[in-house]
Amino acid sequence: MIVDDLPQFTQFQVDEQTHIVLDREVCKSCDHHACVHSCPANCYTLNEETNRVDVVYENCLECGTCQVICDKNAIDWSYPRGGYGVCYRLT
Amino acid sequence: MLKLSERKEVVPQNFDVIIVGAGPAGSMAALKLARAGLKVVVLERGRHPGAKNIFGGLLHNTPVLNEMLPAFWERAPLERHVFQKVLAFMTPTSAVSLTFETEGFDELPRNGYTVFRPVFDNWLAGEAVKEGAQLLCNCTVENLVKKDGQVVGVTVKGREGGLRSNIVIAADGVLSFLARQADLRQDFRVEDMGLGIKLLLGLPKETIDERFHLARDEGADISFLGTTDALRGGGFLYTNLESISIGMVVHLSSLKASGKSPYQVLDTFLKHRHIAKLIKGAVPLEYSAHLVPEGGIAAVPQVYTGGMMVVGDAAGLCYTNGINLEGINLAMTSGVLAAETAIQAIEARDYSAAVLSLYRQKLDDSFIIKDMKTFKNAVDMMHIERLFQTYPQIISAILEKIYRVEGTPREKIMKLGRKEALKKVKTKDLIADSIKVGRALL
Ligand SMILES: Cc1cc2nc3c(=O)[nH]c(=O)nc-3n(C[C@H](O)[C@H](O)[C@H](O)COP(=O)(O)OP(=O)(O)OC[C@H]3O[C@@H](n4cnc5c(N)ncnc54)[C@H](O)[C@@H]3O)c2cc1C
Ligand code: SF4
Ligand code: SF4
Repeated sequence: MIVDDLPQFTQFQVDEQTHIVLDREVCKSCDHHACVHSCPANCYTLNEETNRVDVVYENCLECGTCQVICDKNAIDWSYPRGGYGVCYRLT
Repeated sequence: MLKLSERKEVVPQNFDVIIVGAGPAGSMAALKLARAGLKVVVLERGRHPGAKNIFGGLLHNTPVLNEMLPAFWERAPLERHVFQKVLAFMTPTSAVSLTFETEGFDELPRNGYTVFRPVFDNWLAGEAVKEGAQLLCNCTVENLVKKDGQVVGVTVKGREGGLRSNIVIAADGVLSFLARQADLRQDFRVEDMGLGIKLLLGLPKETIDERFHLARDEGADISFLGTTDALRGGGFLYTNLESISIGMVVHLSSLKASGKSPYQVLDTFLKHRHIAKLIKGAVPLEYSAHLVPEGGIAAVPQVYTGGMMVVGDAAGLCYTNGINLEGINLAMTSGVLAAETAIQAIEARDYSAAVLSLYRQKLDDSFIIKDMKTFKNAVDMMHIERLFQTYPQIISAILEKIYRVEGTPREKIMKLGRKEALKKVKTKDLIADSIKVGRALL
């Protein structure tokens, strides 16, 4: 299974505004980057050279794992506005 | 059905009850309240009920559903009825499974059905609407409105104004921001949650029937231990009419500590010889992820406050005994119990915490809290790392010894079992684990 392919099987109604905001200053001091490996949709990336964490909200499955797993309160996370975000058809 | 998107703002209105979330808990509460003639509105953040919801696949037999919607199985969008239960112990190279089938599973009401949540939840909410409940989709509830310390309404994200009611029922699922806002629960903890991820795979009906030895609308439910790459958790597979739901649930604390990626663990699972055989030729249809409350009874928060009650996953009413995951039945039942309480409170015109505490009593008297207490120790059991890797290996090693014919003297099974177990686990741990498993299941 190619991870990059997974989101293509799921439908999204992408909002123009993000529902995930990172406090990158806090992330700089993070020693586990658990959000990066735990996100089931691979939304987080860590640039090893610059030690910068980035997040894309467009493919977010809204599971909430990242914000529960981050122990530094670096993620300001809320549900997208009504109607936006992931839209399951079957499952 | 009123479409809120067609209006600029939420018109301030007074309802008897506002329900947040059109999952099984919210819709059953709405159905009960609407039938009692109350003015009830359900606010759902998805474009339709179920659009945000996923689960493994099994709608367990739920007396309250049969009671409220008699012979629902004749009308509800169901996939297959589960007739075959399998428990499989896996190691990277082998699989041992126990199959349970009974004629009893074939009787009505069935023991369980596989369903698609975006379809089933939509249907269930529709039943509540038929009875007079209002459903407003595309509404993410953002804040509770309080007056004199009592909850009196909600506001909706991105919209002006709000909605007022005598009672708010928070049916907003595992991440209940509303329960947290009402100070009913602490922050969400990794110890109390599991992450479920799932892939829906399309296969022709005949292929599924043949591979799983099923007929008509019979379905299979397979639980796997040992497939989570040493993470605490388990795999699942459910057959639908023309697709297979396959995935796993892993504990968040274990996932966090492991440094592993959930989709990679799933990938390894899908590539296991035993699984690859079952899903050969299948086409991926949908990928999804959701959290599961797994803290057991100890993690159930306070479920009521002045003007508000919390139901279903939002109240942590979900449990696993390691084999079955039960949530949807607890959600629907708690929704109805909260609705019953609301009806009584509205008759008495008293929405205080003292009156709504009746809901907690009803929960205590129902199978929900009783079962959660029965399986209280299962939470401990589910924290034994060895259960998810070492023990499946031991079981498989024993069977391999039993079945392999090599022309050397064979050992008695019990002796063999002990020997194999002690190769991998210290006696002290073995005893401690068997006590935990015993406490949880016996
Ligand atoms: C992978 C996985 C497998 C599972 N397998 C099974 C199984 O086989 N059998 C079983 O019985 N249980 C299973 N469960 C558990 C089961 O899915 C839940 O217990 C059940 O869905 C709980 O129902 P609920 O109505 O309380 O919450 P949910 O079904 O989560 O519904 C909550 C609703 O509220 C809406 N909502 C949330 N916040 C807001 C807001 N702020 N504003 C407006 N709307 C909001 C959501 O969109 C959603 O529709 C599984 C769970 C997972 C994750
Ligand atoms: S979001 Fe949290 S877990 Fe992720 S890098 Fe930042 S501090 Fe670490
Ligand atoms: S909510 Fe889930 S899918 Fe979305 S970014 Fe966080 S971990 Fe990833």
